[in-house]
Amino acid sequence: MATVQISEAEKVYIVHGVRDDLRVDGRGCEDYRHMEIETDVVSNTDGSARVKLGYSDILVGIKAEIGRPRPMVPDEGFLEFFVDCSANATPEFEGRGGEDLGTEISNTLYKVFNNPHSVDLRALCISPKEHCWILYVDVLLLQCDGNLYDAISVAVKAALFNTRIPRVQISEDDEGTKEIELSDDPYDCMRLSVENVPCIVTLCKVGQRHIVDATLQEKACSKACLLLSVTSRGTVTCVRKIGGGSLDPESIFEMTETGKRVGKALQSPLMELLQKEESLGKKRQKVGFLG
Amino acid sequence: MPVDTKRVRGPDESQSPLLFVLPSTGKPECPQEGREDGRQRSQADVRPVFARCGLISQAKGSAYIEAGNTKLICSVYGPRETDRKDEVDMKSGRLVCDFRFAPFSCPKRGSWIQGSEEKALSLGLLESLLPAACLHKYPRSQIEVNVVALEHDGSVLAHAVTCASLALADAGIEMYDLVLGCALRQDGPSFLIDPTFAEESGAQSAGSGENQGRVTVALLPSLHQVSGLQSDGEMAEDTLVGAVKACIEGCQRLYPVIQQALARAVRRKAPPTAV
Amino acid sequence: MSPKTLCVPGERLCSTEECVPGPGTYLRHGYIFASLAGYVLRKNAGEEMPVVSVVKESEAQLLPDVGATVTCKVEIYKSFRPGDIVLAKVISLGDVQSNYLLTTAENELGVVVAHSEAALCIPAGEQMVPISWCEMQCPRTHAKEFRKVARVQPEYLQA
Repeated sequence: MATVQISEAEKVYIVHGVRDDLRVDGRGCEDYRHMEIETDVVSNTDGSARVKLGYSDILVGIKAEIGRPRPMVPDEGFLEFFVDCSANATPEFEGRGGEDLGTEISNTLYKVFNNPHSVDLRALCISPKEHCWILYVDVLLLQCDGNLYDAISVAVKAALFNTRIPRVQISEDDEGTKEIELSDDPYDCMRLSVENVPCIVTLCKVGQRHIVDATLQEKACSKACLLLSVTSRGTVTCVRKIGGGSLDPESIFEMTETGKRVGKALQSPLMELLQKEESLGKKRQKVGFLG
Repeated sequence: MPVDTKRVRGPDESQSPLLFVLPSTGKPECPQEGREDGRQRSQADVRPVFARCGLISQAKGSAYIEAGNTKLICSVYGPRETDRKDEVDMKSGRLVCDFRFAPFSCPKRGSWIQGSEEKALSLGLLESLLPAACLHKYPRSQIEVNVVALEHDGSVLAHAVTCASLALADAGIEMYDLVLGCALRQDGPSFLIDPTFAEESGAQSAGSGENQGRVTVALLPSLHQVSGLQSDGEMAEDTLVGAVKACIEGCQRLYPVIQQALARAVRRKAPPTAV
Repeated sequence: MSPKTLCVPGERLCSTEECVPGPGTYLRHGYIFASLAGYVLRKNAGEEMPVVSVVKESEAQLLPDVGATVTCKVEIYKSFRPGDIVLAKVISLGDVQSNYLLTTAENELGVVVAHSEAALCIPAGEQMVPISWCEMQCPRTHAKEFRKVARVQPEYLQA
């Protein structure tokens, strides 16, 4: 991953600051950095969003395509995640350098969404065993400044909120062959409920405490992190220990508790923000990529 | 996708006959009852484990582990000179983990090419082993850990972690502690420890569908530190905490068996009289 | 000698007040833990506290037998001089500070090309010829110098 090297003195400074609940940029241990969200940024997608968290910059585009349902679950559509680490973010990602991180993140996203409540997959089914919607969720990392997971999960949620899937009709002729008809009205769309889509909270253990939304410098002081994906109801859909260190059981339980609290608190302002942005409609001032 | 032209491949698309089995109607297991193999629900009732070191004579260290029908084999090579010369941090060694399913190990035939599930398991294995290995003792070198699942009958990552730590110890790689793994399937209010494949992937028992999930924990038993933790599904926070605690207990159940297997390997290589 | 107890990595062996940590062990919170699976050895090497170490089978054979003399003295100036071309084998990648560790402890390894010392031979630096396992001679002045001479294997002689 994109990492920075810091000196021992800097480490001590950061660790001591965290101990006193005062971080280098003035935040407390459970505060996020300033976050900017904009949806509907790429016109060729069915849903898109861009999230900036500190200098981390994530762009998510969702495209809906019609495919065959998985044989084991014939009455459900499914999501496919691809994470692309652009060499723009850091020269380390050049060539195949970003591949491992990309697979790691997309595998984590599959786990985060591996439960029946996050997205209503049944709604993505067009006709069982034959046709369903496949949502290709493509994540592009434009810039890395720590805490990628949290920013990505917010961007995915915003993009799913923004996704509009065209309505289709199935007509059957006399011989029993089915045909798919796409609605002519471009505004005749299906929306997904994102109420239960989780957000990821990554907690890094620094010294004896743990912090939310670590910068690259703070990450360098941390041996082990705990990633939790939390829904608006406060349930946890995925947990992962990240990094080369170990954690004692007590701090895992503390971190889970903090993660749940922070994750829940993150959800409602996010939904409010998304709804507010949408209510502006055409009047909304687009920021785009220069913002 | 890369294609290996040397292998005889099956037809482009084929399906396992298991798909045509009628979905088992009914038989919603009552959460209060026991499990199919006679174990108890909601107790740290792990499957009996058989572990042995030193099966692969070519490797520096190796181990085989069997828990029910989950069978894994692991070999450790190294420390040897690292492939990656460009690494900035040469002060400590590099641990490389590779996890693979044998193509016939799962109910559905797998591919020879490492899939994304295997990559995720390799990473999970690596992150669980890293805190235990004294890599600073092996500068500029790398240690390779290869695990192959011969038969997959659930809790495969957990047993892979145990097997790999046994192989590392057998190879004489210095470690702070052994690493033991334990998995759990949360099924509503009850849990199934060390689940079989059917229990792991099976549908939930009757109920609201709340608190369904899978947890895998890797534990350093004598330092009492958790070196690996993974979960998916959906669980309330207190259920998750309970599940982690149950897994820790499950790990500790394995400790005597693993200690004995290792002691046996040491004794076989050098009988006490030789020292 | 203490009875041969077995240990596995992570086992607590004793406190630092009783013993000094040796190979195969590590220190944590004032206690000595095993980092290898093997036999626990306690040895008094004349110091106040015994050294505790863990040995596996191969290391056990390295322990000297009773009666074996292992003392020796190596004088670098009698083996190599600056400017010599030496055939050596890499035995270890070395630790953090130092670079590769090399060995010439084989008949085939050692000095291959050496030039005689300037003070003894004018013009300086005539290439010397080996005359024994530990000596080389300048073909001009016939001055002998000490070197750890390699018996270069024929396959390496191809220029």
